[in-house]
Amino acid sequence: MTFEIVTTPANTPASLLFQQCLVEIVPDNKIMNMAKEEVAGYFLDKIEPTTVSEDLWMKVLNKAQIKKQSRINTPTDPFLNQLPVSLQVHLADKKIKWKSFKDVKIATILPKDNNEKLELIHVMPGAKIPQHTHEGNESFLVLHGSYSDEYGSYKQGTVQVRSDDHHHTPIGHTQTGCVGLAYTHGKIKFSGKFGKLLNLIAN
Amino acid sequence: MVKVKNPFVAALANIAKSQDIESFKKIFDYFSPRLKSFLMRSGADEAIAEEIIQETMTIIWTKADYYDPKVASPSTWIYTIARNKKIDILRKSRKAILEDIETAVLPPIESKADENIEHDQKFDMVARYLDDLPADQLDLLKMNFFEEKSHGEISEITKIPLGTVKSRIRLALEKIRGKLEQDGTMADLNASNESSMIN
Repeated sequence: MTFEIVTTPANTPASLLFQQCLVEIVPDNKIMNMAKEEVAGYFLDKIEPTTVSEDLWMKVLNKAQIKKQSRINTPTDPFLNQLPVSLQVHLADKKIKWKSFKDVKIATILPKDNNEKLELIHVMPGAKIPQHTHEGNESFLVLHGSYSDEYGSYKQGTVQVRSDDHHHTPIGHTQTGCVGLAYTHGKIKFSGKFGKLLNLIAN
Repeated sequence: MVKVKNPFVAALANIAKSQDIESFKKIFDYFSPRLKSFLMRSGADEAIAEEIIQETMTIIWTKADYYDPKVASPSTWIYTIARNKKIDILRKSRKAILEDIETAVLPPIESKADENIEHDQKFDMVARYLDDLPADQLDLLKMNFFEEKSHGEISEITKIPLGTVKSRIRLALEKIRGKLEQDGTMADLNASNESSMIN
């Protein structure tokens, strides 16, 4: 399943960032990703060149001189430090805004764009998320800890893909809780008791 | 083991260490026309393609110290930067979201501006493996990873059944992965990845 996700072209910011995190978390994916990138690099080498404008080099030089060498400062927050480096870098100059729902916190990493978004989900130990379905597909990557639902339990480095007709009630691991990255096409739809209320808040 | 010199590995190291314009020009001269072809084939018009090249070159200039010759060949590193820029720029909002993702996945390494810097042989082995692949198989890889077509699209274009497309691509990737694993580099990478997973 993981393999299928990775072969999907990463051609949007959300899908690319999701895949970068996946590659970092799962060593096997790291090598496979390296293989794919090398294939792409090989074809860049072989492609028939197209002449560039005469003034392009001067433009590049001017631009390069303005830009100073900048180092990325990764966050010092201990919670952020345990995230994949790709996410840390993305969040480096930003303040994470958590939305709290009782024992579950959700932060938007990339806001909705073309019906897709990327969110960081922090489920406290033992917390239960009300039953919900997903509008469109959701790929969920477990970054830390684990969680379980009616169908199984899911540990760090695994990805679950759920379609819009899938109902489930996830529970965070009683000791570790769970931190995960959710890549969604569309909004989450809560289907249980209080579902409507939660929908309003989540939207 | 015979190590092969790759001029661009040395050029990137020189940029990282001493902001060497000559090395930068070398990279510009070789890669800009290739990036232009790549970008124009993936939907950018000439002006946008050159805009993406400018951005890509600026990133190469400012972030050359992020380049690790053990992790990717220079072409691959430059390709990923351009691809990310392309995704950012071709979106309507044109917000720079992806600039730092690919270049910063690995912490900056100490730059080694050494004329005799050795290019990791495993990347040449991958290139040789691809050189020897039959054209029809090579095309599948090209469509999937360079032109970013899905397996379904490839199956439609080539009239090869979807299952066969998937298995052929997978087989080739496994071979390439085997070559990339042939030295200790990946073992080191995995070890560092595991330690970062624990904390």
